[in-house]
Parts: sequence; C-alpha cells; structure tokens
Amino acid sequence: MDTILQGLLDMAGVNAAVLFDGSGRLLAHRGKSVYDRALCEQVGGPLARAIDSLQLQHEDWESATAQFADGTLLLRRVDTISAGPCVLALVADSTLNPAFATVAIRVSSNKLKRALDGGAASSSVGSTGQASALGSLPSYPAATAAGPGGSQVGHPAAASRPGLASSGLSWSRTGGVTTADQPSANYLTACARELARHVGPMSKIFVEEAVRRVCPDLPFSLAASRALADELAGRIDDEDDRQAFLVALKNSGGK
Amino acid sequence: MTDLETVANIAGVSAAVLGDLEGTFLGALRTSDGETIAAEMGFVGSSFLEIGALLGLGTLGTFSLSGPARSCLLVVRPQSLITALVSPPQSLGPVERAIDTAFQEWT
Repeated sequence: MDTILQGLLDMAGVNAAVLFDGSGRLLAHRGKSVYDRALCEQVGGPLARAIDSLQLQHEDWESATAQFADGTLLLRRVDTISAGPCVLALVADSTLNPAFATVAIRVSSNKLKRALDGGAASSSVGSTGQASALGSLPSYPAATAAGPGGSQVGHPAAASRPGLASSGLSWSRTGGVTTADQPSANYLTACARELARHVGPMSKIFVEEAVRRVCPDLPFSLAASRALADELAGRIDDEDDRQAFLVALKNSGGK
Repeated sequence: MTDLETVANIAGVSAAVLGDLEGTFLGALRTSDGETIAAEMGFVGSSFLEIGALLGLGTLGTFSLSGPARSCLLVVRPQSLITALVSPPQSLGPVERAIDTAFQEWT
C-alpha cells in the first residue's frame, strides 16, 4: 500500500496521500513536511463524521473534492471486502493538476482495493511489486522540488538502490525490508497474504516490522522463515488460527 | 436575483438549497427536501472547515460530491451555504465553472 500511496505523493502538488477506514482510522499514509501520521490521524474523525452525514443522502457517492483557499482535498471511496468502505484522501496545494489527479486517484483506489482484499497484495508488495505497481500507473508529472520535509519526495530510495529496485530484491521500498532472493520475497508475500486473513489489511506492516526484528541487519532469507513465522503467529489470538497460519506458511516454502 | 436563484438557474442544476453552517434552512428552489439537505450540508460544511483548519488549507470555498446517479455542489458564502443538486451527474464540471464565474462576480 505504501508503494501505491507513494506513487500519488510523487505527483506535483500532492502533499499527502492517506487511506482511512470507515471509522476514520488511518490505515496507511505517505506525507511530506508537516503532513505526518499524527496530523493525518486527527483528520480521520471529522472526515468520517462528514462522510457518514453525506451518505444519508448520497449513499452511492464515489468521489468528492473540497476546494480551500490554500489547497484541495480530494476523496475517493474505496469499497473493500476485508476493511469495509474506506476513503483515499489526497491533500494537495494549488499546483495540483486536477485532471491528472482525478485519473491517478481512480487508478490508485482500484489498486488499494485489490491490495486490501488480498488478491493483489502479492502483486503490489511482492518481490517485483515496486516496479509493477508504479509501472501500471500513468506517468504523472513528478514533484521536481523537495518539500520542506524532503525525505519522501520523488524516488530517492529507487535512485540510491537501483540494483535492488530493478532486480526484484526489494520487497518494500518504504518498509526498509530487503530480501536475499526471489523465493524469500515470495515467502514474505505469502506471509502478508496469510496474515491478512486473521488481522486484516495491517498485515503487510506487521510483516515488515517482524522482518526488521528477525533480520535487523541482513536481507531476509528463507533461513529465517521459521523465526518470522513464529513472530507473526504471535499476532493471532486464536490457537487454531495460529496453527493454520503456521501450516500455510510451511506450505508456502517456509522452513 | 438572489444567490439562490442565480445558482438554481444554471443549466444542470436540478435544485438549490440555501442554508448556513449551523444547518439552518433558509430557502430552497425545486426541492421539497430543503430542510434535510440544509442540515446535512451544514454539518458537512462545518466538518470540512475543521478539516481545512487542521491541514492548514485555509477556508472552504466549495465542496463537490459525485456518484453514478447524482452529484451535488456546496458553495460556502460569507453568511450562508448554497447547495446545488446536479443532474445529470456529468454536468458537475460545467456547473462548477458556472458557479465559479458567478462567485467571482459576487466577490
């Protein structure tokens, strides 16, 4: 999901791309400068209330635009099976190209829907996920100047790790997780997919956190698959579900 | 011609409602559901004002909503809110431009 949001953030004029669930809880976020996670989380409450109210009369709404004096807030409904109705929000300044943004948010909402529902989680976060996810988006004009925060503008990670990005060794650009080889990347994708059955759309984030704990300094490899599986299993409360999860991962190439 | 009549006369606007950010119903043209719409849009307008303040985006000018069956446009005026119901929904763009032009004339 981070890759999809980063694709939106790379558009000129976009300062934040945020995914909220129906109750206003922040599911994923990418933002520049002051648009950090804490600020965006504050927006979730009033946004959810406003949308609840809108839906009284406009139950089938698809998109909305709030035009402010100093910027624009674009909203797109993302109906998912796993997380229910979600909302993708773009915070933009006056340099945003509305036409490009309309296309981009539609494309990205479809990709997020697939990612949240698990079907495309593997394609968007898999070993070649970075290239495929960005490659299927239209080529939007990228931000040319770093925002005040700077660190999340453009493609700094891709530029500094061209080998990883193009060879499929990078499981996630934003999560700081790298893999030793293709089977290891495939295994991480399987972990995210299987864990999503039990914990929902946060599974990829849990996998990234667990990989960093299990392999803090090395690319993830299948040698650490058992440790990773045990770590992730701790996220599942039900004993039967936990065992089913471990079996599924073993069948996915884990040791 | 009042603001409400100006908006209601734009091609593509099927109905228009005048209210305020408190949800007070002040008038409507071509709809019998004005009170409900005014209350809903008052709440929506005040919610997005709060969101704009949180995000540092300044004051809310317009809010538009579109779906397969219908669209609507909320215009924030100094003392009031005008809601334009747009039909067919594809007319939202032209209606926005027409209201924007009228809005500039108002200011």
